[in-house]
Amino acid sequence: MELFDNLLIGLSTALELKNLGFCLIGVLIGTAIGVLPGIGPIPTIALLLPFTFGMEPAGAMIMLAGIFYGAQYGGSTTAILVNVPGETSSVVTCLDGHQMARQGRAGLALAIAALSSFFAGTVATIVIALLSVPLAALALKFTAVEYFSLLVLGLIAAVVLAHGSVARSLSMVLLGLLLGLVGIDVSSGAARMTFGVPALSDGLDFVPVAMGMFGLAEIIANLERPAERHVVSQAVRGLIPSWADLKQAFPAMVRGTALGSALGVLPGGGAALPPFSSYALEKKLAKDPSRFGHGAIEGVAGPEAANNAGAQTSFIPLLTLGIPANALMALMIGALMMQGIQPGPQIMREQPQLVWGVIASMWVGNLMLLVINLPLIGLWVSMLRIPYRLLFPAIVLFCCIGTYGISNSLFNVWLMLGCAAIGYFFIKVGVEPAPLLLGLVLGPQLEEYFRRAMLLADGDFSVFLTRPISAGLLVVVALLLAAMLSPMVVRGRKQALAE
Amino acid sequence: MTRLRLDRRDLLLGAFLVAVAAGALYATRTLSVGHAADMGPGYMPRVVSLALLGFGLFFLARSARGATATIEPVRLRPLLAVLAAVGVFALTAERLGLAIASVLTVLLAGLATRETKPLESMGFALLLSALAALLFIKVLALPIPLWPR
Repeated sequence: MELFDNLLIGLSTALELKNLGFCLIGVLIGTAIGVLPGIGPIPTIALLLPFTFGMEPAGAMIMLAGIFYGAQYGGSTTAILVNVPGETSSVVTCLDGHQMARQGRAGLALAIAALSSFFAGTVATIVIALLSVPLAALALKFTAVEYFSLLVLGLIAAVVLAHGSVARSLSMVLLGLLLGLVGIDVSSGAARMTFGVPALSDGLDFVPVAMGMFGLAEIIANLERPAERHVVSQAVRGLIPSWADLKQAFPAMVRGTALGSALGVLPGGGAALPPFSSYALEKKLAKDPSRFGHGAIEGVAGPEAANNAGAQTSFIPLLTLGIPANALMALMIGALMMQGIQPGPQIMREQPQLVWGVIASMWVGNLMLLVINLPLIGLWVSMLRIPYRLLFPAIVLFCCIGTYGISNSLFNVWLMLGCAAIGYFFIKVGVEPAPLLLGLVLGPQLEEYFRRAMLLADGDFSVFLTRPISAGLLVVVALLLAAMLSPMVVRGRKQALAE
Repeated sequence: MTRLRLDRRDLLLGAFLVAVAAGALYATRTLSVGHAADMGPGYMPRVVSLALLGFGLFFLARSARGATATIEPVRLRPLLAVLAAVGVFALTAERLGLAIASVLTVLLAGLATRETKPLESMGFALLLSALAALLFIKVLALPIPLWPR
């Protein structure tokens, strides 16, 4: 069986002592930032990118991936104990998880959340392993034409499935594409929008952009809101769920995992959308929907499984096609490129150790999270007592040093400063910057594929429609856009996102 | 008759996008555009800027529809303090060294909120500076001076 061979290669990489170490560091950092509201995985990964230069690619990716799914675990701890979502993906967990905590069932809620996440993580690892090979094989048939259409689909789907206004998000994608064009044009050598600044000739680094818009702008916005954080200080007891609890939670776990895995693979998927959908589904299926919001165990199990499954399967488009499903995966692509690895279907053949190592490490990491998180819960709770007045200056400082460290240039620090101001402006006018980051990372690829496709077709645009795969992808784009314009779907989407 | 109320969020976003698109079109005006089969360096910038310009104008037009949401008031203290902290780091890191730049950055950032206590902030700044020096210069060997040159 090829699948087992692959997983064995992966496990042998993931179980190397140093990679186990990186995995542990990743999930610990991830849990910490997940627990702390106000710091998300995007600025954290951006911050740590410069320090992965010296590492082997597999170790670097294993650690960065660990931060991402570790953050999903940590986010639910805060949601349950403090009723503040540590991450956006754990907003739903607040609803029933915190109610359970108030009824004295905090231990059970935490245990169910952890078990659901572990179950979903295990299944999602298998899903990734199963889907990767055929998808990568399909992707090898792709030419520049198909790639261009796929990138367009990825960008459009990311916009449609994300929160917020579609028009605003589309404009952010375009802005990101425009920023991605800054620098020396690879085919002609002409400087574009560099304004005579030598540091711009290699293009804009996305790390300062991400740190400014996601890290610093968030801090400024957080400081404007009045501080209100009170930790429910109660001893967490009863971590072992009873048989009856498990029986009640298990079907929700399975459904959440299935839903999360499916939604995570979609471009624009990831960890945010699945928990909402899962919560809505559980509420609809329940015999007595009124229990939800008052400590229903399914309301914790389903969404927690869904967000973890979604977080993991959102790696599939990245690993097989080299296309990021969301802003975070865009950062991971950046990490690969910094290691000198061009993401795309060929990495499965050329770097099996890397790809399967990362996949297997996800399962190992999930096991670590289960084992270390429940006993350490007291430690994570005490982290919540660190006052924000000390936390944010430290983040500002580390963002500065980290940005400087990417290429030892102060220009990047100034760039981050500018992006922080722009990011703050975006928060004020109500735009999400995530599509911008996606556009920035994909911009150069989009242009290159378009150029090659046009060379192949001699400038004939109809080539995108005469090739079957490309046409199919573009039909999906058209359907998505048409759906967004129809008033019925707009209303339904608003409702779904509001729930 | 009531005065026409503009949606400030759409208005500002639209104006920003139009300005960026116009700037990009101006900055790339000398690049050859070419045509699809033989794209010049100016092809993509032109296409993307024009699309962006379209979106900007769309938001400007939409803002006349009336206000649907208000902008929360801007509070200058956190904004200026955090931006100044980053700026000070950029100005001092290479001249005064990481140790001093870190202390200044943390102290300035602390000004962003009234909750900061001067003594605590000073001690914390020194601690972070030492930590940063240890981690970034000793462990990660970042080529940045520790003290003024």
